[in-house]
Amino acid sequence: MNNDRLIKISSITKKLLVALFASFLLIFLLFHMTANLFILAKDGGDAYSAFCHFMGTNIFVKVFEVILFGCLVLHLCLASYLWYQNRRNRPVGYKKPSRTKTGKGSKLMMITGSLLLVCLIFHFYDFYFVKLNFVEGTYMVKTEDFMVGDPNQEVSEEAQMVFMNLLNEGKASKDMQWIRQISTEERDVLQQAFPEAEFEPDFYHMARQKFSVWHIVLCYLLFFAIVGIHIRHGFQSAFQTFGLNHYKYSRLIEILGVVYTWVVILGFAVVPLGVFFGL
Amino acid sequence: MLDSKIPAGPLSEKWTNYKTSQKLVNPANKRKLDIIVVGTGLAGASAAASLGALGFNVDIFCIQDSPRRAHSIAAQGGINAAKNYQNDGDSVERLFRDTIKGGDYRAREANVYRLAEVSGDIIDQCVAQGVPFARDYGGLLDNRSFGGAQVSRTFYARGQTGQQLLLGAYGALSREIERGTVRLHNRCEMEELVLMKDKDGKERARGIIVRNLVSGKLERYAAHAVVLATGGYGNVYFLSTNAMNSNGSAAWICHRKGAYFANPCYVQIHPTCIPVHGDYQSKLTLMSESLRNDGRIWVPKKKEDAEALRAGKLKANDIAEEDRDYYLERRYPAFGNLVPRDVASRAAKERCDAGYGVGSTGLAVFLDFNDAIKRLGKDVVEQKYGNLFQMYQKITDENPYETPMMIYPAVHYTMGGLWVDYELQTTIPGLFAAGEANFSDHGANRLGASALMQGLADGYFVLPYTLQNYLSDQITVGHIPTDTPEFDEAEQAVRQREQRLMDIHGTKTVDHFHKALGHIMWEYVGMSRNEESLTKAQTLIDELESEFWKDVKVPGDIETFNPEMEKALRLADYFELARLITADALHRKESCGGHFRTESQTEDGETKRDDEHFMYVAAWQYQGHNQPETLHKEELNYEHIKIATRNYKN
Amino acid sequence: MNFTLHIWRQENAQAKGRFETYKVSDISPECSFLEMLDILNEQLINDNIAHPVCFDNDCREGICGMCGLYINGRPHGNDDGITTCQLHMRKFNDGDEIWIEPWRAKAFPIIRDLVVDRSAFDKIIQAGGYVSVTTGGVPDANAILVPKRFADMAMDAAECIGCGACVAACKNASAMLFVGAKVAHLAMLPQGQVEAHERVKKMVCRMDELGFGSCTNTYACEAECPKQIKRQNIARLNREWIKQLFAGNHKK
Repeated sequence: MNNDRLIKISSITKKLLVALFASFLLIFLLFHMTANLFILAKDGGDAYSAFCHFMGTNIFVKVFEVILFGCLVLHLCLASYLWYQNRRNRPVGYKKPSRTKTGKGSKLMMITGSLLLVCLIFHFYDFYFVKLNFVEGTYMVKTEDFMVGDPNQEVSEEAQMVFMNLLNEGKASKDMQWIRQISTEERDVLQQAFPEAEFEPDFYHMARQKFSVWHIVLCYLLFFAIVGIHIRHGFQSAFQTFGLNHYKYSRLIEILGVVYTWVVILGFAVVPLGVFFGL
Repeated sequence: MLDSKIPAGPLSEKWTNYKTSQKLVNPANKRKLDIIVVGTGLAGASAAASLGALGFNVDIFCIQDSPRRAHSIAAQGGINAAKNYQNDGDSVERLFRDTIKGGDYRAREANVYRLAEVSGDIIDQCVAQGVPFARDYGGLLDNRSFGGAQVSRTFYARGQTGQQLLLGAYGALSREIERGTVRLHNRCEMEELVLMKDKDGKERARGIIVRNLVSGKLERYAAHAVVLATGGYGNVYFLSTNAMNSNGSAAWICHRKGAYFANPCYVQIHPTCIPVHGDYQSKLTLMSESLRNDGRIWVPKKKEDAEALRAGKLKANDIAEEDRDYYLERRYPAFGNLVPRDVASRAAKERCDAGYGVGSTGLAVFLDFNDAIKRLGKDVVEQKYGNLFQMYQKITDENPYETPMMIYPAVHYTMGGLWVDYELQTTIPGLFAAGEANFSDHGANRLGASALMQGLADGYFVLPYTLQNYLSDQITVGHIPTDTPEFDEAEQAVRQREQRLMDIHGTKTVDHFHKALGHIMWEYVGMSRNEESLTKAQTLIDELESEFWKDVKVPGDIETFNPEMEKALRLADYFELARLITADALHRKESCGGHFRTESQTEDGETKRDDEHFMYVAAWQYQGHNQPETLHKEELNYEHIKIATRNYKN
Repeated sequence: MNFTLHIWRQENAQAKGRFETYKVSDISPECSFLEMLDILNEQLINDNIAHPVCFDNDCREGICGMCGLYINGRPHGNDDGITTCQLHMRKFNDGDEIWIEPWRAKAFPIIRDLVVDRSAFDKIIQAGGYVSVTTGGVPDANAILVPKRFADMAMDAAECIGCGACVAACKNASAMLFVGAKVAHLAMLPQGQVEAHERVKKMVCRMDELGFGSCTNTYACEAECPKQIKRQNIARLNREWIKQLFAGNHKK
């Protein structure tokens, strides 16, 4: 056999990469879930905002964000490619549908995966695209940003009005560090007045606002359920693909997978439910 | 007349002497020499792999879709080797003696000694190939004991030793295929042997015609030597432990072309098979002989108990201990349940004929693990025999951990085969036979775990030497063409045979005739034979054969994938073979090993040999269809061993 | 017992196949599935109905790996840990409809009816599923120590009979269990270490070339393996593959 052909990526390597990218996503999910839990903290969103600020400005986080996106896209592309390839390996199918006793998880991966992609786009529309300024949302800004403006420049009356309104409506945090729940129009006015001010999306209030609507809550719960099905198979599958399954601890991996899945689903689900029911 | 070419010198030095004085082929010449190997069982695969590795050009053929499916794969129990790893007094000499004695003093001393000598090398070879033999906790190889031996010399890989050894040989073969020294032809059946006259006027085996089973087309292959490793002919009995496609045709084709056929009447009946349960049955399943290590064989002492068991009124566990007759332990105290196969089989038949048989047909005896489970615990028994128990349960739907197994003898192995000399060469120059296809090493009865040993010995350690000796003067012959009149003629003969079968357009299927033939053979040429039964068999076989040629129906076309045609071609040969088995059994008016003539038995029903008149190998020469064959005798001269009565009692 | 059989009939590799329906009656429950097909064939020949149904079979005791039919949605039929020849009619109900299909996979083209060509498996083994030793010149068998546990695990994997049920069951027609079993068998033994990296590399590449799918960890193969070879062998194959990725390449 021509040895050069060995260089081309084998099916196992492709699978390894799919699993590797997925592992990043699995770890990220834990981060994301933990962060979300701050929304439930009874501090008017201080902790969560601080966290969001860190996430939005830290350079390492930004790099990580790019990697993460890369993982997502590659995971998706490679998995789809493998799926497409695999479908071609049985040109003539069976008349009788399979009655082999197996878990459904892997058979659903492509469906759950596609659904997840759709959900993810909506989720991005709701939150992430605000950060990228693709869609409008609610914003927050550090109070100190208004102090550093050019003292010689006259602040427009309109901006002063907006600013005062915000304060009167109690949209400043208790420690007066942040002004939040700024609408797009208000932001635009303020931005014009204070070009240096850095407005960030106010995810805390956006989330609280969205999760007070029952059908959005329902959609998100559905979303998490699909995530659950996807990672229920994906978790142990990644171990298997990494060759980390062994008679000695295959049971352990199985249990870990279940625990992980439930922790993640519940961890995510508790936030919209909590907000909706006013916890 | 028959020159067995046994080298001179003391027995223990014959093989060494042969090897040191034989002729060799130099590496550059090896690749100019073509060898055909037919069959990919232990003998065929190991021979092809070894010859390919030496540098010869090898073509190997199998009828199945893969070399790994040859029926060697079904051997369960183990493989013997005189390693003496257990420190229980084993040695080459003892393995040799056990084999000769087990074969009832009808085997050729020199061959058997060589077999015992190379037995240890086989284990080394297989372990190096990665065969996962059973191990002790210290990492050393484990052994078990087997019928006909008082030492533990059997190496095993659970109950699938044959499978693992074959996969080892298959691996070695695959390696050579990858290297390009061996070319594999699967789904091809040998249909004719092509002989060509040399310049010196000597006729040699120069090629074969095969039927490509997928296309039905005939193909020609030429070579400087042909090795036949096509197994035995046990399926002449229709019901046997052989695989459905195992057949005797390749050997018979060679016999028709002039190779002598030796000792065809030596057929081994294996004592531990699952009993027959219906006339639709297609084959019998063997339960490894190793079961006799821990299982105890019994039938009820009282006839009324046996009758109640047959009627289903009683269960085996209802029979009290004192009402059980452990007949093997009773009759053969020294060996007990581990007597050789022929002895155990006949003892079972004797009990059943006497009316003590169990099972719905009355043709079964119990193999009981109750004591073993008590003594060793269920876990140990399961570890040792789990897969066999599971197999039994799958087939019979009974749990052998709770109720005793039922077993009955079935045709298993044929000690007879193509006559070969010390070099494994048949009477046709250039045609070699290895494994079960030859007659050589087992005499009148084969000991358990010796078939694997012989197949691998022939393939790994004998043929690579002796073939070279033959081929050393073939290097000048050059490439052998297949477009010669000899090949044309051979191919035409095959086509005619096929056409003749096709043209019958009868009313009965091939299987119908095969079952009928099997029935005749089992009834009259089976476990015990006599002049009357054998004479009757001859008439019945003749009648059946002529009916076959008038009334068989082969559907489909010749040049397609047509299993019915394959079966018909094989069955046509079985008729002739059956006739020869009967003739051989008739002529051998003594009992020995697997051949039991009721006229020749001791007072307590054991085989009684007639060394004075029958101390020879009967090699038969074909004389044409339905013509009596000519007998040639190879006298057996025991120089080393003292001949005695085969005695497993004390 | 009586059955209605729907059997895939296809004259040769090129022909278009179709299902044909046949009836068999008075079948004993003790009858094996293949014996039932024998009876059907006898009937087809005797009554001039059709060419007998072609199906691969040989040892009929579950070890040669020759037989393999996809019966009512399961390779080797509706029982665990058996080959088709070990399936008995008592596993069915009287009057059942039975659909019998050949293995379906790009790598296993049909030869006729229910007979498929599995030589792709041979080719995978030829790529490296062995220890490269030539006859003779090997050390004494007991010079190679193998811990019993490893020997047992090697044997567990080595029990594979190469029937192809794993490929037939897999939704991707993947041969990972077959390859995994061989790689794991040799990886467990000291004899297999020398060529371990090369072996897994060559076998997996050959597997890919021959048109087998990739593994999506569904474990249908494990569920249908007549020898119940475990998924852990696939994990070991993956592990060996990763080791090989990081192992030194002899080419420069």
